[in-house]
Amino acid sequence: MPHAGLKTIIALSFVLAVGFLLVILSCALWHNYHPLLVVATYVIAPIPNWVCGHCANPDDFVDGSGTAVVVDLGRFCTGFLVVMGIALPIILAHSDLISVGAMAMSVVGGLLIYGTIISFGMFFQEEQEF
Amino acid sequence: MSDDRLWKFRKPAWMNSAAARTAGVYGSGGLFSLAFYTFLDSAIWSKSSLNGSDVHVTFIDWLPLIFSSLGMLIINSVEKARLADDSWSYSGSGVAWKARVVLFLGFAALAGGMAGGVTVFVLKYVVPGVGMPMMGMGIENVVANALVGSSSVVLWTAQRLSLPQETKLIR
Repeated sequence: MPHAGLKTIIALSFVLAVGFLLVILSCALWHNYHPLLVVATYVIAPIPNWVCGHCANPDDFVDGSGTAVVVDLGRFCTGFLVVMGIALPIILAHSDLISVGAMAMSVVGGLLIYGTIISFGMFFQEEQEF
Repeated sequence: MSDDRLWKFRKPAWMNSAAARTAGVYGSGGLFSLAFYTFLDSAIWSKSSLNGSDVHVTFIDWLPLIFSSLGMLIINSVEKARLADDSWSYSGSGVAWKARVVLFLGFAALAGGMAGGVTVFVLKYVVPGVGMPMMGMGIENVVANALVGSSSVVLWTAQRLSLPQETKLIR
C-alpha cells in the first residue's frame, strides 16, 4: 500500500472537484439536469460491496470455493452500477434527451468521481490484522 | 489433483488466482448491466422524438429479456456442488436430481429468452420490412439477450475457478 500523505488528499479532492465541475457543467450549460443521475450512480456504486462484505460471516467460507456467495453478489451489483454510470449518458444522448457534448462531459466527470472514490478507499484503507 | 484432466491444454496459472475470480464476478455484473441498458436504450429511443415510425417497443419486446434474466438468476442460484452429490447420503432426498431439474429449467429459460429475442426481431422487424433506424430496436433486443447469456457464462466460469491449494487450506 503506497504511503498516503497530505499531497494525496489535496490531489484527490482536486480531481473530485474537477469531476463534479464537469458533471454540473454538463447539466447547467444545456439547462437539462438528467446527467446528475451519473453522480448518484457512482456514489451508490461501492455500497453493495460494502454492505455484502459486512454481511458475510466467516462460516460461509466452508462452501469450498473460498469466497462467500454474498460477497460475490455485492461485487456483481457494484459491477452493474459502474457500467450503468457510463451507459446512462450514452442512452440519454442516443435518444436526444441530452446533447453529445453533455454526454462526453458527464462520462468523463463520472469516471473522475468514481476514480477518486476508489483510490481514496485504496489509499486510506485501514490495515486489516487478524 | 490435476491427474484427472480431460484436455491437453492446462489452465494458465493466473486463472486460478483469487484476483481472476473477483474480476470475473465484476465483469459479469458489467456485462449484465450492458445487456439491460442496451435494451433500455431501445425502449427509450422508441418513445423519443427521433422515432418517426409507429413501430414501438411493447411488452412483447421485454419478455425475452425477462426470461433470459430469470434463467440467469436460476442457474447461478443453484449450488453447483450438489450436482455431483449422488452419494448414498444424499440419495434419500434426491438433491442431485432436484438440482439437475432446476438447472435444466434455468438453461431452458435462458435459451428460450435468446430464441424469443430472435423471434421478435424476425416477426416484428424483418418480415414487415422495417427501415434501418427502427430496425435497431430489434437488433438491440437480440444483442441484449446474447449479453445476458455471456454474463451468466462468465459468472459461472468465475465461480468454478478453483483457488490455489494454500488458500483452500485456510478454510
